[in-house]
Amino acid sequence: MATRNSDFANPKPCEHLADYKLRHGLSGYKSIQKWLKASPYGKTSIKMCETNMPICRFCSGFHQGRLFLCLICSSLSCSDHTLLHTQSENGHDIAVDIERSELYCSLCSDQVYDPDFDKVVVSKNIMDMPSKTHDSVVDDLMRRSSKRKRLNPLMDLDLKRSKLLVSMMDRRAKSCYPLGLRGLNNLGSTCFMNSVLQALLHAPPFRNYFLSERHDPETCKKRSSGQLCLACDFGVIFSALYSGDRTPYSPAQFLYSWWQHSANLASYEQQDAHEFFISVLDGIHEREGKERNSNKDVFCVDNGGCQCIAHRVFSGMLRSDVTCTTCGFTSTTYDPCVDISLNMDTTNFSSVNVANKSVREDTGRSTLLACLDLFTRPERLGSDQKLYCQNCQEKRDSLKQMSIKRLPLVLSLHIKRFEHSSLRRSSRKIDWYLQFPFSLDMTPYLSPSIVRNRFGNRVFGFESDKPDISSEFEIFAVVTHSGMLDSGHYVTYLRLQNQWYKCDDAWVTEVDERIVRAAQCYMIFYVQKMLYCKANED
Amino acid sequence: MWIPKQWRAMAGLLSMSVPNEDNMSPHMQLSSHFFGDLLDSIIVDVASECHRVARLGLDRNLEEEEEELRLSAQARVTVANPSNSGETNGKYVVDIFGQTHPCVANEVFDCMNCGRPIVAGRFAPHLEKCMGKGRKARSKATRSSTAAQNRYSRGSPVSASSPYSNSTSTNRLLNGTYSHTVEEYSNGTCEGP
Repeated sequence: MATRNSDFANPKPCEHLADYKLRHGLSGYKSIQKWLKASPYGKTSIKMCETNMPICRFCSGFHQGRLFLCLICSSLSCSDHTLLHTQSENGHDIAVDIERSELYCSLCSDQVYDPDFDKVVVSKNIMDMPSKTHDSVVDDLMRRSSKRKRLNPLMDLDLKRSKLLVSMMDRRAKSCYPLGLRGLNNLGSTCFMNSVLQALLHAPPFRNYFLSERHDPETCKKRSSGQLCLACDFGVIFSALYSGDRTPYSPAQFLYSWWQHSANLASYEQQDAHEFFISVLDGIHEREGKERNSNKDVFCVDNGGCQCIAHRVFSGMLRSDVTCTTCGFTSTTYDPCVDISLNMDTTNFSSVNVANKSVREDTGRSTLLACLDLFTRPERLGSDQKLYCQNCQEKRDSLKQMSIKRLPLVLSLHIKRFEHSSLRRSSRKIDWYLQFPFSLDMTPYLSPSIVRNRFGNRVFGFESDKPDISSEFEIFAVVTHSGMLDSGHYVTYLRLQNQWYKCDDAWVTEVDERIVRAAQCYMIFYVQKMLYCKANED
Repeated sequence: MWIPKQWRAMAGLLSMSVPNEDNMSPHMQLSSHFFGDLLDSIIVDVASECHRVARLGLDRNLEEEEEELRLSAQARVTVANPSNSGETNGKYVVDIFGQTHPCVANEVFDCMNCGRPIVAGRFAPHLEKCMGKGRKARSKATRSSTAAQNRYSRGSPVSASSPYSNSTSTNRLLNGTYSHTVEEYSNGTCEGP
């Protein structure tokens, strides 16, 4: 949005601020810099005197409220008397709110903004930071957002070749329906597997990789040495699904291979789709992970990391900042992830009394964005969870905040629909509706946005902050669960060529998008918008 | 204040009833006054923060978000309306390719573990026993594997814990549990997951 971005780097000053700047430049800002003090919670205040309470010059604290420090004469006025001050002293229009270090124009009676002022505030914040924090946090603050992200080579993934292969295979296809659309037989409580397979089979970069036969069973090292290879099995399923045959396919070989891989999950019983998803990606990773990387768990922070198809498509990076609430020292760690598990915000639900039983009712405001907000919200670690602060050299209360350092090509979101009650020592399923968008912009949850927010959303003047299109995602699959915690049924909805299809084991039907919007989502799959648009051009 | 008393009044109504100053002791009045100051301060903090976000255009694509919310709300209403045909139970309809399918998938193929022809819809329970996996098979296998270990320690080469073994001991276990499972399964209706 045009207005949004031009405002951010260069907010338009009011005439009084513009006038003040002309006359005084940065001198006023610099003169108060020494009094700026940031708290570990992110708020920067002005503290002039350690011993005396600041009071309004006019009413001496009778009518307190907010206090504003004049940038020219450093006198303090409360909110009721700022006008008086500017009337008695001509030109003393601009003041600073000492609670939050925000510029205030007494004549406009409004908060105003100046990137130069923000720069002064942030410089002081950085100066005051405990030395070891300096690097990671500062880098994020100062980094130009116009830095182009390294284009993932998968983006140009052999689309021409896969298109050709797909059209050649189109023999028995009922040609009006997209290729690759085919039911999967339930082999006995295997809807958890079928639902995830459908989503994976239609993830554009994943699909393109297998359709262009990047994983060749002939040259597969694992296979030739007699080991099982889940990637080979995937290749087989892809060929079958895209063969043009529309009768339901039985992924029996895949089940067999998977059970050999995940011995602990191998049983004829209902299982969790998410667990299966993680297990399958792990199985595919092993194929290349052990060959290319000496240590299976090695993930390079910025440069690609593991090159197996599972990670190239699904792997992102999470950032965790732990801040000591005593000294403000922040330690940052990075962890790779193939998906994000989100808690539902159960505080949004009010309690109502229905027939003498307290029932929690869905207020209808539960949304995916709210879950993402909850995920990236600073979390106060309890006093029983004190962490060691390197600066203070002892265990302290801390704040923890998650953010996304790098987004994957395919973003898999898992909604944790279970609630554990330590009282009743039981778990139950949260059946409430969760609203989810079809188009998702992940920018607010990225590390730069989160870190900037922690520093009061200050403007730095040289940040271009153009919206990065690689943060925009489009939905392509939703796995839904109906039923109870222990027994239920999984169904996947797929969006192909802008039409939604319901994949309920062997049955594939067309559905209106409203059915999907109203469904109870459990796992939601988004793909980067660029890849989605390309896939739809086929 | 430029964030006027309206905010405070609203907060007061939302959180607790606005205290009636006449009936309060001086002590209570003072506490109430302090509380009011603290509340004002918090409200202004939030307002100031939101003002910055809004003024600098940092609030996200509100229009797009609101559109998504509206579409979802509309969708829920439409779907909840019983007069709309909505979703038909997937198990009894014709799919988009014009095909119908039985409740239990009836394709037959050979098991890759033992070679026997198995009906698709019963493949998983079969495979579980065939591979010696699963709770029931596992618990029985443990019992027999203890016996096997004893046997082994006495010099017998047979190990009943191998999942791929075709030994007669495994077969005996399988038969018992297998028929049991078949009974369980055929009891169910098409709703089976």
